[in-house]
Amino acid sequence: MKLVYRILAWAVAVEVAVQAAAIVGALFGLTTWVTEDGGVLDKAERESHSTPYPEAIGFPIHALNGEILIPLIALALLIVSFFARIPGGLKWAAVVFGLVILQVLLGVYGHHVPGVAALHGPNALLLFVTAIATARRARASSAAEPAHA
Amino acid sequence: MACLGAAAILGPLGWHAYASRLPSAYAVTDMGYEDHGGHDMAMPTAGTRSVTTLIADPDRPADVRVTLTARKEKDRYTLNGQTPGPAIHATVGQLVQVRLVNENVPDGITLHWHGVDVPNAEDGVAGVTQDAVGAGREHTYRFVADQAGTFWYHSHQISAEQVRQGLLGALVVATAAPVAGVTDVVALTHNYDGTATVNGRPGETHVDAPPARRFRLRVVNTDNGEVSVRVAGAPFRLIAIDGTDVSGPALVANVSVPVTAGGRADLDVTTPADGSAVRVSLSGAASLVLGPAGAPAPPPARPATRLDPLTYGSNRPLGFDPARPDRQFRYDIGRRPGFLDGRPGLFWTVNGHLYPDVPMFMVTEGDVVRMRIANHSGESHPMHLHGHHAVVLSRNGVPATGSPWWVDSLEVADGDTYDIAFVADNPGLWMDHCHNLPHAAEGLVAHLMYEGVTTPFSVGGTAGNEPE
Repeated sequence: MKLVYRILAWAVAVEVAVQAAAIVGALFGLTTWVTEDGGVLDKAERESHSTPYPEAIGFPIHALNGEILIPLIALALLIVSFFARIPGGLKWAAVVFGLVILQVLLGVYGHHVPGVAALHGPNALLLFVTAIATARRARASSAAEPAHA
Repeated sequence: MACLGAAAILGPLGWHAYASRLPSAYAVTDMGYEDHGGHDMAMPTAGTRSVTTLIADPDRPADVRVTLTARKEKDRYTLNGQTPGPAIHATVGQLVQVRLVNENVPDGITLHWHGVDVPNAEDGVAGVTQDAVGAGREHTYRFVADQAGTFWYHSHQISAEQVRQGLLGALVVATAAPVAGVTDVVALTHNYDGTATVNGRPGETHVDAPPARRFRLRVVNTDNGEVSVRVAGAPFRLIAIDGTDVSGPALVANVSVPVTAGGRADLDVTTPADGSAVRVSLSGAASLVLGPAGAPAPPPARPATRLDPLTYGSNRPLGFDPARPDRQFRYDIGRRPGFLDGRPGLFWTVNGHLYPDVPMFMVTEGDVVRMRIANHSGESHPMHLHGHHAVVLSRNGVPATGSPWWVDSLEVADGDTYDIAFVADNPGLWMDHCHNLPHAAEGLVAHLMYEGVTTPFSVGGTAGNEPE
């Protein structure tokens, strides 16, 4: 269970990196499409959910990962923490889960409040670091414990 | 202890997922809850009638006959071999008869007459007013084109996919006496796999015209998001919205005209006398250039302001009194995490409830109905009411002072509240949904229902009806 706990915590960190890559790729691709390929972005285009340039696939990846997959991983981490018997494991899993929920709220409802929307970035960094710390703490706790027979 | 904690989290989630499963077939009249709009109880009705009886005069011969054959070609849908499908032209008062033939679309198809207040049986909503027309089968629609204006048709079976991939076309209903010296041009916008087009063509489309030629430009937005129409090179008037003429339209320039997803806007624009061209920018990089061959087209206009129909044109009596409504409904749009048919996600809510627990707005024929649409969901929604035109009374408490603003498709931006009103004069079961069609598939759907109207059709079932 400790191993599962660590894998899930690492998975959250990796997913945050994937999220950053997907959204930055999509936004840079958008800039190139507009400035070099004569693309015009409007609401009809945005809502067509199509990929006029390849990197646009990053938008749906970011939405699906962020709204469904990462919350599910964080939830699984929280549940596994009940069984993993890591000192403070539940607390840190709960912190990761809380930061994920905050991140989703900032992403979905923060669009129209510029200051609030911008927190989506720093909170991602905070989540990334916290998820790694959570995984490393779990490893330290398993190393300190004698191996089971 | 650990098991208890895990159960405390997983138990409710599992239960919610389980409870959200939809039956394999269900009638929309059994879905959600009745909202009587201020009436204490259902009005007693003299018996019931089926949607299938709500048709145009069966003895009247058709004035306009069209056959549309639908085909699936790779991931596209065509009508008579083309997408957009052929524009259908009729004159006001004519009876239009359209035979829809499904050559090979495996999931079935329908046609919905967007913006035309057809009899309910002709509304083309799979699972509500008919069964989806399966491959190798056909279905005939008959309705009187009782309003001159710009409309369109599209499939209302798996509409999020079938409309996106091209099962659609324009429907133009001309006035009885044509306006002399005006050239009619349809500008139907659609985004095919990331490419914005006008009448199926990407980029710039040239329309040959001598100087001082007057146009009625019929813009149809078939996409899922708003289109901002921008005119460069000449002033213009917005002369109709959603098929209803604007009263006293002023000449304007340097403003963009927002056209709701599913909505229409007719522009009156004349090519300049000096021989230069007019550019009408539509969705994306698609534009129409009107003018003499070879005339230089001006660059796309970039207006900083938007034309606001709330104050545009001159006021005129509505023809009914919305101050004394028989029914008052609210249509609150929100968003929250939950389960839809066992699937987790962030879903739209109507009055706080997730699909299928959505309101049935119950009315009787002749009722004056008011509805307050409030959007606090984080995204804008183009709300489309079938079978009726509603007039906008106010936005965020600011009363409408321009021409009566009649809509069938209304873009409700996040944070906005609209008060609209209409007369319930077309009995049936009518969808009232978001025309950003993937949003409808995510549950942003309700129905306007007349007391005593029933449907023999069901969503799901053997016909595989899937209206969204």
